[in-house]
Amino acid sequence: MITCGIDAGSRAIKIVLFDAQRQAVLAAGAADQGVQQDRLARQLYERLLAEAGIAHEQVTARAATGYGRNIISFAERTITEITCHAVGVHHVWPEARTLVDIGGQDSKVVRLGADGAVEDFAMNDRCAAGTGRFLEVMAQRLELRLDELGDIAARSTQPAVISSMCVVFAETEIIGLLAAGADPADIVAGVQASIVRRVAAMAGRQVCPPVAFTGGGALVSGMDRALAAALEQPVRVVPAPRMTGALGAAILAAR
Amino acid sequence: MASQCCPARITLDEWTRRYARLRADGLSEPGYGGPLERHVDDGDSRLLGLKFDNSPAALRLWNLLLTEEARLHEARARGATIVGVMKDLGTAAMVAWSIPNVVAFYPDGAWWTPCLTEQNSRVLAIADSLGLDESFCPVRAMVGAFVNGEHFPIPDLLVCSAGAVCDDFSAIAQRLEALGHPIVWWEMPRRRRPDPGEPAIELPGGGTAPAEQVRIVEAELRRIGRIMADAAGASLTEANLVEGIRRANRVRACLRELRDLVFLADPCPMPALEILIAEMLAIHYCSDYDESLAVIEGLLTETKRRVAAGLGVLEPGAARIFWVNPVADLRVMNIVEDIGGRICGTDYMILHAIDAIPEDVLPWQALARTALADPLVGSASDRAERICRDAVRYHAQAVVVSRIPGASHCATEGAAIRELLRDRLGIPVIEIEVPSITDAVEAGLRTRLQALVEAARRERA
Repeated sequence: MITCGIDAGSRAIKIVLFDAQRQAVLAAGAADQGVQQDRLARQLYERLLAEAGIAHEQVTARAATGYGRNIISFAERTITEITCHAVGVHHVWPEARTLVDIGGQDSKVVRLGADGAVEDFAMNDRCAAGTGRFLEVMAQRLELRLDELGDIAARSTQPAVISSMCVVFAETEIIGLLAAGADPADIVAGVQASIVRRVAAMAGRQVCPPVAFTGGGALVSGMDRALAAALEQPVRVVPAPRMTGALGAAILAAR
Repeated sequence: MASQCCPARITLDEWTRRYARLRADGLSEPGYGGPLERHVDDGDSRLLGLKFDNSPAALRLWNLLLTEEARLHEARARGATIVGVMKDLGTAAMVAWSIPNVVAFYPDGAWWTPCLTEQNSRVLAIADSLGLDESFCPVRAMVGAFVNGEHFPIPDLLVCSAGAVCDDFSAIAQRLEALGHPIVWWEMPRRRRPDPGEPAIELPGGGTAPAEQVRIVEAELRRIGRIMADAAGASLTEANLVEGIRRANRVRACLRELRDLVFLADPCPMPALEILIAEMLAIHYCSDYDESLAVIEGLLTETKRRVAAGLGVLEPGAARIFWVNPVADLRVMNIVEDIGGRICGTDYMILHAIDAIPEDVLPWQALARTALADPLVGSASDRAERICRDAVRYHAQAVVVSRIPGASHCATEGAAIRELLRDRLGIPVIEIEVPSITDAVEAGLRTRLQALVEAARRERA
């Protein structure tokens, strides 16, 4: 039985094709999100099927997750990204008891049961200050690529204090720091610390070790170190962290 | 008969067609009855996005709610004294309603107006212009309604509790007074737990308070009772008050029975939205005691019929969610049910208006005990304890703490409630913020609520 999980996120669409009998990923891919989300998702789906040599009729169930989940017309089910990330993390790391997902426009902390069920969760609901969007804005302002941030932050000797609760104001703060001659490395480290501080505050007492780190934010180098420091415990980035939601959706589609 | 059809949640359009059928079948209505869509013509455009219960009992409930302003104007025209009671939510109004020819209402309930009328009535814009922006809770709509005079008549007397009240509310009420609307303030001390050996008095709902605090509140209620009676040119006897309490308890008993039936039955026999509106009737009867009682009794009769027949408005086995704090946008109550949840217990900040007022003690003390049982005048941990007890009683599988934007109590109570319920019951608890109009954040709200339903279902499995 082959199933498909589609994670229609705010920044990218991710799809996983999954063999439910063998519990193995057959194909996975991502595409930038756009206006015509359903068409973009379908194109990606068709491409993955072709590349993996899988016929349409072999895929028996499709589940969509993410902000655009209700737009995906070829999915029979919708499931929230909270549940899907939990199931995805449990599949790759069954011992994990907390997952932190920093996505494009939201972040969440999910406490997991031994069976991978969601026991409790918290999610940002007021601003983008604890999300990947903050990193994008900052990288753009500093004329850096996201994959450069970790190395640059590692050079910081005195991380800047970013105190604004809002990304727009934080960007103004960064402009001010640049104008004052602050080292970009200190600014990057300060922004990363600011994001994970907000995630840690949101987590409150929910953090039970071990902690898994998922979502696109986990791909940004240095974020895992910053998160571990904020949570005061080790954090492990799961394999292919951006695909975790789609993987969970594919697994749940089979149930 | 059309009135006995299968229970369902229906849109306003569907109600229009159903209303025609009910009328053709001989539906009898009170004077304020009529088709729901007429309220949209009056400006309540938010109704277009809601789903309603399809019973005649629910139709009567909505019509009672949406004609309150007209009733207040009628009361003014017939010479009744109109008392605006503020903040205590349920007790001062009982004092006022015990005085002959007095009608009491809560102007701070005007925030229900924008939730039904979007921004059409401009009450929020007026509040903004007076410095009460969205950093204050939606009660600020009251100030706009006082200024434009397009909603309720300006009361003959304004009475407001002070002391153990939200900071934002206090600021809003003081701003109202500064705009030329004199307020009689009465002191509500912050409820504390009695010290060891200190005389204590039991409160409705299960808590206790120091006897000294009960005496203070009793004296304050007597004082405002005299002021209200003077304003009406009437007298307020103990016999009046005893009768007022007895009448209040009839409404409250009926509501408690309705809540228990709805919260415990499966499938859910009555939608969350109608139960929310019904609960609100307890605080001031929507300006008509007899009709409020009749409306609640009608809902109770319909609910009993449905339960006896095993009928519900939702699929059996919906995830059982306990809800804390009322929502500023009523649509959220529909959303919970759209995604597979159901409300199985509530604390809409007015539990003290639903608990029975003691009838075995002197009436002023009974009201003082009731006022002190207000969930918001004590500590957040006391409130959390009661929520925990009720969540167990109603078999809740998850809890939503709904924050009211700008409300100062919401900044601290969420964590207290969340931690106690997690520790004691091990069920998921989420905090969400519900603005006056949720359209812009609906996708995110749906995700949180749907995830909670998924978590509750998985837990049950």
